[in-house]
Amino acid sequence: MAPVNDMDMLAHRPAAAQPAAAASVRQRIEVRDITKVFPLHGEDLVAVEKVSFSIREGEFVALLGPSGCGKSTILNMIAGLITITGGAAYLDGRSVAYGKVDPQVGYVFQRDTVFPWRTVRRNIGYGLELSRLAKAEREARVLEVIRQAGLKGFEDAYPLALSGGMRQRVALMRTLIMQPQILLMDEPFGALDTHTKLEMHKFLLEIWEHERQTVLFVTHDLSEALTLSDRIILLSARPGRLKEDFEVPFPRPRDAIRLRESREYSELFAKVWHSLGDEFAKTKAE
Amino acid sequence: MSKGTFINVCRFGLLLVLLAIWEWGWDLRKHVSWIVPTLLDPYFISKPSLIWTRFLEMGCFANTRGDWLINIDGTFMKCVYAGKGSLWTHTLATLKNTFWGFLVGVGSGIGVGMLLGRSEMLAKIFEPYIVAFNSLPRVALVPLIIIMFGLGDVSKIVTALTLVFFVVFFNTFEGTRGVDRDHINAARFLGANAWQVTWTIYVPSALAWVFASLTPAVSFALIGVIVGEFIGSERGLGKVIIEAEATLQTADMMVALFVLMVIGVVLVLGVREVQRRLLRWQRHHAETF
Ligand SMILES: Nc1ncnc2c1ncn2[C@@H]1O[C@H](COP(=O)(O)OP(=O)(O)O)[C@@H](O)[C@H]1O
Ligand SMILES: [Mg+2]
Repeated sequence: MAPVNDMDMLAHRPAAAQPAAAASVRQRIEVRDITKVFPLHGEDLVAVEKVSFSIREGEFVALLGPSGCGKSTILNMIAGLITITGGAAYLDGRSVAYGKVDPQVGYVFQRDTVFPWRTVRRNIGYGLELSRLAKAEREARVLEVIRQAGLKGFEDAYPLALSGGMRQRVALMRTLIMQPQILLMDEPFGALDTHTKLEMHKFLLEIWEHERQTVLFVTHDLSEALTLSDRIILLSARPGRLKEDFEVPFPRPRDAIRLRESREYSELFAKVWHSLGDEFAKTKAE
Repeated sequence: MSKGTFINVCRFGLLLVLLAIWEWGWDLRKHVSWIVPTLLDPYFISKPSLIWTRFLEMGCFANTRGDWLINIDGTFMKCVYAGKGSLWTHTLATLKNTFWGFLVGVGSGIGVGMLLGRSEMLAKIFEPYIVAFNSLPRVALVPLIIIMFGLGDVSKIVTALTLVFFVVFFNTFEGTRGVDRDHINAARFLGANAWQVTWTIYVPSALAWVFASLTPAVSFALIGVIVGEFIGSERGLGKVIIEAEATLQTADMMVALFVLMVIGVVLVLGVREVQRRLLRWQRHHAETF
């Protein structure tokens, strides 16, 4: 594990400079004027309206906004799970087609999607099993991942016997073992209690800071976004429009707990909160 | 005495009481006629001792004089295959037809159920036909089935199949339609192609539903075969029962009924055991594990 970094040093260090957005930097995810309209009881419900952003190789971006503002909808359009009403989404410059699943994309769902009929071992090994990887190698990799996820002793347990946090770790590892270069996550820790959530943040940071996948992480939880991401894309209340784009310059490796005690964190929290608060108010006013 | 032992003692006691009433109840009529209903007449229900004797004879364990046949070289086998057949050949015929009716009915029920469960279009097209055919009392079809397939085994298998198919079909259909979309999407992101999604997601998710239909399906298969044998057949336990009715041999009938009861119980327990093993992941199965 990476050494725990000293937050006190933060005060004396300028915010880590972001690499210049030069033309040579690969844009792994891009959406341009993306719009989604749902037909609802004969009327059109505009869920997302003309949202544009792009995400660089190795960047961890949080998509933040109040519930119902269209975060999942945007993610699902990028993933090809639903049709795009207007605009376009690109993965590595290639336009996303509905119904086509990109093999280099990993998707972690908001809902618990661990397969209840498979043991922990066979859930995590699912993708490798499909890819016909030799059994010995598969078993070895699965066991390594199980150890990493702190699930030792539960290899042959069925998901119904696990806690929510453990199940979400299985879901995460089941995706990560396939080594996707692009990770789409839809409030993966939304259903967990605060303590378990923090544990999961530590766990995810540890993995990500080592692997550096390109991540688009959907959440309505500001502290989660600040803890994990390099950048926060803030959406307005429905219809979801791009509201603001915040850099999150905290150095890495990060310590999920100690980060929250730093002054920089509180300042940025207040700044984003101010902007986010307006949107929450709008949701309530409806 | 623990609660479990107590229950078992009561069960066994009840069995003894019932058998005693059955065996000697009618004799009480000489002394206290008003308390003994006419239905206890051995003419209607025979007697345990008589049934036991007939069981030994029909099963080729003993001859009519009460000599034990098992000990005499070759006589047992000769009796089993003699004349119009013994209890063994009849039982075997019923079992064989039940097995095939069950197997083909379950197979086609699962196949068609999964197909229609996955295709909204096909489901819509076939719905009226399925509903109409299923509303027809299957027993009413048996004479037609016998005309079409003859008095042999095939007509019994077809009768069982028409009953089994629908139970399994409806359950598989519901189970397939109820598959979690997110499970399918998760599988696709992990690299599953259409075929793999079917095998690794649809089949295991629908399995619980399919299994729920297998216990009634076993009983239906047996019902189908027996009814087929009633209406026209060369052998089988249903045939034994119908013949016993014609000749007023209630003891023979009771023997066939008890064999059927044992077959029914064994088959249902067998299905439950398979179910318990394959659905281990479900909580209530996991607990009894
Ligand atoms: N399939 C759908 N049909 C109709 N409306 C939908 C559908 N999916 C989402 N919506 C609506 O679109 C809006 C955005 O939904 P969603 O993207 O799930 O929000 P978020 O993930 O930000 O909470 C919501 O108002 C929701 O009710
Ligand atoms: Mg959502």
